[in-house]
Amino acid sequence: MTERRLVLTVNGLAASLADVPAGERLLDTLRWRLGLKGTKEGCRTGGCGACTVLVDGESSLSCLTLTHEVDGCAVTTIEAIASDPVGRSVRDAFEREGALQCGYCTPGFVVALTGLLKERGRSAPLEELLDGLQGNLCRCTGYVAIARAVRAAREATA
Amino acid sequence: MSAAKRPDAAVKLAGGAVYGTDLEAPGMLWGALVLAPVAHGRLRSVDLAGARALDGAVAVGPDDLASLLPGGGGDPERPIFPRAEISYRSQPVAAVAAPTLETARRAARAVRVDAEPLGVVADLEALFPEWPGSEAERSPDIAAHVHARHGGVEAAFRDAETVVRETYRTASIHQVALEPHACLAEVRDGVWRVWTTTQSPFGVREDTASLLGVPEASVVVEGTWVGGGFGGKGASLLEPYALVLARAAGRPVRLALGYREEFLLGRTTLPAVVRMETGVTAGRIVARRVRLLLDVGTSLPGRDFATGYSIGFLLGPYRTPAFEVEGYAVRTNKPPFGPHRAPFAPQCVFVVESHLAHVALELGLDPEEFRAAHLWKEGDPTPLGQPVGPCGLAAAFEAARALARRWRAEAAPGQGVGIGAGFWSTGTGAGGEALARLDGRGLTILQGEREIGSGSVLVGLRAVAAHASGLSPARIQIEYADSSRAPFDSGVFGSRTTAALGRAVEEAVRGLLTRLAERMGTVGPVTLEEAGDGLVAVHRSERRSVEELLTPEERAAGGLEASGRHYGRAGSIDERRVVAGTFYPYTDFTGSVHVALVSVDRETGSVRVDRYAAFQDVGRLVDEGSARAQVEGAVAMGLGTALTEEAIWSEDGRLENPGLLDYRIPTLGEIPPLEITFLEGFRGAGPDGAKGLGEPPIIPVPAAVAAAVRAASGAHLTELPLSAERVARALKLL
Ligand code: FES
Ligand code: FES
Repeated sequence: MTERRLVLTVNGLAASLADVPAGERLLDTLRWRLGLKGTKEGCRTGGCGACTVLVDGESSLSCLTLTHEVDGCAVTTIEAIASDPVGRSVRDAFEREGALQCGYCTPGFVVALTGLLKERGRSAPLEELLDGLQGNLCRCTGYVAIARAVRAAREATA
Repeated sequence: MSAAKRPDAAVKLAGGAVYGTDLEAPGMLWGALVLAPVAHGRLRSVDLAGARALDGAVAVGPDDLASLLPGGGGDPERPIFPRAEISYRSQPVAAVAAPTLETARRAARAVRVDAEPLGVVADLEALFPEWPGSEAERSPDIAAHVHARHGGVEAAFRDAETVVRETYRTASIHQVALEPHACLAEVRDGVWRVWTTTQSPFGVREDTASLLGVPEASVVVEGTWVGGGFGGKGASLLEPYALVLARAAGRPVRLALGYREEFLLGRTTLPAVVRMETGVTAGRIVARRVRLLLDVGTSLPGRDFATGYSIGFLLGPYRTPAFEVEGYAVRTNKPPFGPHRAPFAPQCVFVVESHLAHVALELGLDPEEFRAAHLWKEGDPTPLGQPVGPCGLAAAFEAARALARRWRAEAAPGQGVGIGAGFWSTGTGAGGEALARLDGRGLTILQGEREIGSGSVLVGLRAVAAHASGLSPARIQIEYADSSRAPFDSGVFGSRTTAALGRAVEEAVRGLLTRLAERMGTVGPVTLEEAGDGLVAVHRSERRSVEELLTPEERAAGGLEASGRHYGRAGSIDERRVVAGTFYPYTDFTGSVHVALVSVDRETGSVRVDRYAAFQDVGRLVDEGSARAQVEGAVAMGLGTALTEEAIWSEDGRLENPGLLDYRIPTLGEIPPLEITFLEGFRGAGPDGAKGLGEPPIIPVPAAVAAAVRAASGAHLTELPLSAERVARALKLL
């Protein structure tokens, strides 16, 4: 299980990891090896989206991702999302629209929306963006303010 | 949109907020619980040897408590591990800790639990095929019994022109706060310290101390950021286990539930069966009888709050000259019953609203007209004889009917419109206290609650302090301290935080203003104003700098302090109407009326909510952004209760869908356009007439949706949730 070191670029910095068991999830690597706890642990079964991160720019559920699978990849978490201009507008839109309460789902939403906007660009129809967030659960806001923030972030990136 | 920026938005959006699940300490061990393998059984032995053989692992079971706990084991009525009898599947029977989570899980699996299975009681109706009679009071299966009557109900039923009888059933539901329970514990120098995600640090302190049999003063609870509570994080759950493990290990121990365990042993709301009986003469209700069987799992005897409180909601806010209500809290082999945002009120309101609408339709009357004609007015007595206080219910109902008429006119074929009406009363809990500190630049409020997400602490208390002082919220800081340093408060539940703890904040701020007035040589009134970076105290034309009004000692100590407390419980009931058990008076009367427009799929029975409106009585609007956010969140949560959420328990006490893939909560695409209207002026018990708002807006949701489903399709459903399957069955599609 210790056959090789893994090298990931996490939030722009190289992270060289030894002794990563084959079954270790990216979520645990980020949170417990690298101390990046902004990425939240919810269901661990792919059902809530709280653990969403970007892997090479694409939004991924870190609870279902094996760390070995992303060897050599660039991982972006909520902690660095605002260093990307799209991520920054998403974050600002969430703040402005009051799109969070307890905040536990928030990193997942912000990262997932950033991924969608980067992938589909300014021309993405609003419906498509909202659809792309169907896997992210929020129990507090009733999604009303979140939908508002999606609209605002889309306009800001357009 | 007047949504004020939340003071906690920045830290949460940067990923910097530390929740219970994020807790960690140098040298800590990871804990895990060993859960009972049967729902009911005689415990023969718990063998920890296999766990203890693992590298660095610690294990504690029933036999270890005497040596680990100073008093020899804590509350004998509520042992944290069962000694002789397992009473629900997933009851913790032992706990382990190890240097990694992997090893801890292995250690938990290595514990051998030997239990002889006993008969399982999981189904209320199997237990009482006939309704419980008077002998049931002494039955060990009954945890509580409440009974009230008034007005000669037998004669009233005998004389009634028409009597309608129905039976309703409601489902077990889970809070599904996105963050599972989690804590970190450490025992050092006689101090039992726990960091935890909780709605009530003081509640956890009291509960944990009693469970462990240690003095309350030696337990210190420090709250973290909370990833949603909704009632599930109101009492202790993991803390005693984490502390016992930390004590055994001599090191800090982190204990967190995985989401599957969260479903298995979190505090769910359990199923209920309700029988409704209504007598009508000449279009007027003359008699009501309501009987409730509420599953409370393994809750202890005497815990009858749920039953006594629910019963009031089952009569609804309708004038009834003669009534009888009787409720039984029934013990089953399930985890202890827990509260869920407006505990059991949405279910009760679904029952009473659906039933009264059904009565009206049976008699050929308009269901909304029928309810409106009986709706409480200010001064009417409640069933328990308490005069109804200022309440926006009737006004909200009126407005809702007008909107429903418009929506009906616009509805397409296959669509239907329904109204649900409910009420709530702001909780007081055991009361609360706060400290206000004023320096030359601003005001700080010190209090004992963490923000659980609703904004009731960081936005609500701040707005209350602003309103009472004259300052803008930007000059006010809300400060938190652990249970050894903060003023007492009973918890963030019952919609009480802004409203009841807010009263303590208001009193503390007023105390400061009185002290300033004394120093200005007047009896007031004094208000504060901002002047540049500083503050001035203003009395009529006199203006004095606050800095100058403080003594040098106060300036050195950080400011002038005053404390406030609020232990109020207003109102009383007519005890002559109570036959058995405890009933509770209402602090104030908060009306919520909702309108739903739905489509029902005639082939599958699935329901889509197309449009939704909420009319919410708020007393006084403390902060509009937070108030809207509460209504938005509550409506979504209520749609889950109405349509999809159901924790399914098998006959042998097993939870069959413990996970978010099988227990479906609403997603972003399922939320209809939502119109919100606030009604002000019907004063409540909170600061300057405000009313608690966390729970009221969830209450009418299932009732409104059910009424709309009936209007759209003719399907009359007497069970929650209104799943596609149930609707299809009601429409005879299955
Ligand atoms: S924690 Fe990954 S989807 Fe829920
Ligand atoms: S803000 Fe609490 S879960 Fe979304």
